[in-house]
Amino acid sequence: MFVLALRSIRRRPGRFLATLLSAFLGAGIMMTFNSMHDTAGQGGVDPVSSETLGTAAGVVGGYGTLLVFFAVASTLTVNVRQRTAELELLRCSGATPAQIKRMVVGEAVAVALVGAALAIGPAMLGGRALLDMFQDSGQVARSVDYSFGPVALLTGVDITLLASAGAAFLAVRRLTRGGRERAGAKRFLAGAALVTGASAAGATFLFSATDEMLMAAPAYGAILLSVGFALLSPRLLKGVLDRLPLSGASGWLAVRNLRERASHLAGILVSLILFTAVSTATLTMQSVESDAVKASGLVKSVDAKNLETLNLTVVGIIAVFVCVMLVNSLYAATTYRSREFGQQRLAGATPGQVLGVVAAEGVILTVTGVFFGTVAALAGVVPFTVVRTDAVLPDQFLGVWLAMVSVSAAVTLGTSLGTARRVLRTPAVGAVTLAA
Amino acid sequence: MFRSGARGNHDPGPASEALRLVKVTRTYGSAGNAVTALDGVTLSLGRGTFTAVMGPSGSGKSTLLQCAAGLDRPDSGIVCVDGKELTGGGEAELTKFRRGRVGFVFQQYNLLETLTVAQNTVLPLKLAGRRVDRKRAREVLTSVGLGDRLGHRPAQLSGGQRQRVAIARALVTEPRVIFADEPTGALDTRSARQVLLLLQEAVRVHGRTVVMVTHDPVAASYADSVVFLADGRPAGRMDAPTPDAVAERLAHLGDDVPAGV
Repeated sequence: MFVLALRSIRRRPGRFLATLLSAFLGAGIMMTFNSMHDTAGQGGVDPVSSETLGTAAGVVGGYGTLLVFFAVASTLTVNVRQRTAELELLRCSGATPAQIKRMVVGEAVAVALVGAALAIGPAMLGGRALLDMFQDSGQVARSVDYSFGPVALLTGVDITLLASAGAAFLAVRRLTRGGRERAGAKRFLAGAALVTGASAAGATFLFSATDEMLMAAPAYGAILLSVGFALLSPRLLKGVLDRLPLSGASGWLAVRNLRERASHLAGILVSLILFTAVSTATLTMQSVESDAVKASGLVKSVDAKNLETLNLTVVGIIAVFVCVMLVNSLYAATTYRSREFGQQRLAGATPGQVLGVVAAEGVILTVTGVFFGTVAALAGVVPFTVVRTDAVLPDQFLGVWLAMVSVSAAVTLGTSLGTARRVLRTPAVGAVTLAA
Repeated sequence: MFRSGARGNHDPGPASEALRLVKVTRTYGSAGNAVTALDGVTLSLGRGTFTAVMGPSGSGKSTLLQCAAGLDRPDSGIVCVDGKELTGGGEAELTKFRRGRVGFVFQQYNLLETLTVAQNTVLPLKLAGRRVDRKRAREVLTSVGLGDRLGHRPAQLSGGQRQRVAIARALVTEPRVIFADEPTGALDTRSARQVLLLLQEAVRVHGRTVVMVTHDPVAASYADSVVFLADGRPAGRMDAPTPDAVAERLAHLGDDVPAGV
């Protein structure tokens, strides 16, 4: 089965590009930050520098594992879903479910290995740049030398492999089990995340304005709330759709398509909600904090600087990953619909009307995702601002929010419309018979 | 039930010829390995006729249907549907030309999975921006025997039922010509018979014109006449066809037309 896995990768490298990219980015980021452990572990590093390096590695390392898992899982789920026919053929030719599982997991592991190996070089350069940055800002002593050692290499490769194998296992199990989802467990998790998130955001009021940990509670609150919304996203989408009075053939079709495919589109909504919430909340709070420190005339402590660097890095990493996931799932989902577009055209839709349907779907998805992401972000930003300053809504919020919304809208609409335009170049009759 | 007198205000009076092709040529591929699918086909079909187009695989029958229906553009020649010439232009223009003039029934049904039976049926009207008469849509669906399946999805229907939804969808816009491409190709004999009788009824009772591509002599025998095609050229015509006569003619089609001349 592993031989079959390798052969299927070699024949169609393009299909695994998104998975490879996720594994590469994940391994690269994890190795970059974990090499800080190696650097701190050398002899003669002072305790302050060592702590800074350790915190950076710990925080981003944890995030990184989760992100690799989600990114690889999302790309693999799309990949497996598109190969239903091929996997079905394998099953008909006598492959047991276990064999198919081994093949898909084998593919994922092979791709992850390649991704991790490719990431070693860039991670070394990235780690050196990161150390330079810490040294320039005075968070780490100049005398510390960069080291890329066993911790970086082992954690980077291991975590990427484990996350990929686990994600592949879940993706193929969902397929072979026929998509029976445990709705109850999911709803319970979503409820728990929402309640914990709301109480974390509420807990912000227990801190005083100058507490160093002040930002932690609302940030976690915002993240947990967005996870809760993300878990509920198919249901939220249906709720939005029921309240949409869309007229015109394109809008009519868009609403019906979305309603039918709500559970398939959950991945796209999850990315949108998490991206909007995490990036808007973190960036707004960070800029409120920086302005407050500047206004008070104090100089930032090393810890505060550390926190700022980390916040910005984490947001950057999340943004990149979410963009990869969004582009991949939208591209795959849209290419997959070639036949459906052909059928619409044969039923009398002009190419413009088909693009109109795709655009309407994109707008509904973006607005829904951004709306719930914004609610989660506000739940963190407002308590923080109330405690830290006297205002309720910081001036910085609008600017950050607009920037994040533009990125979401540009990525969502750009990918789906660009792909749809390309798909529409196939004549309608050809598009219908190709997939038949 | 499908009264042509009930048509909307865009009816300029039907032309006596529903479909007319003059010296239509269509070549695929580049200069080096070009394949001539249609080689100067001239054909004229009157209103209210049921014509089957037959020929061996690769004879150009599907290309003929696609060119005549405005799904594909011929390299040269003239195509007129309902007295109106099909001129060049983008896909959007061709789509607008087809609306109201042409209806389709395909072997693979081509119903949208996300829409119910009733929604699939009225989709062409919605797309064309025409008034959606739900009562009439229900009448048409009842007449094809699916009045009790309005809320079902295509995936919940059998092949024969799906094809009858496709026929209802083609009828609801009241087109001049209905093009059917192997409509019974994926059906069992009983469902095929129902589908063919519905197409026959569309012609005999409601005055539509039906052009059907098939390679099944039994299916062809439901038509008023059969046009044979070989190597992209017309190879004779048969009126009042019977399955045996059609099969006989089809078996000897290669004899009459020397290849490559």
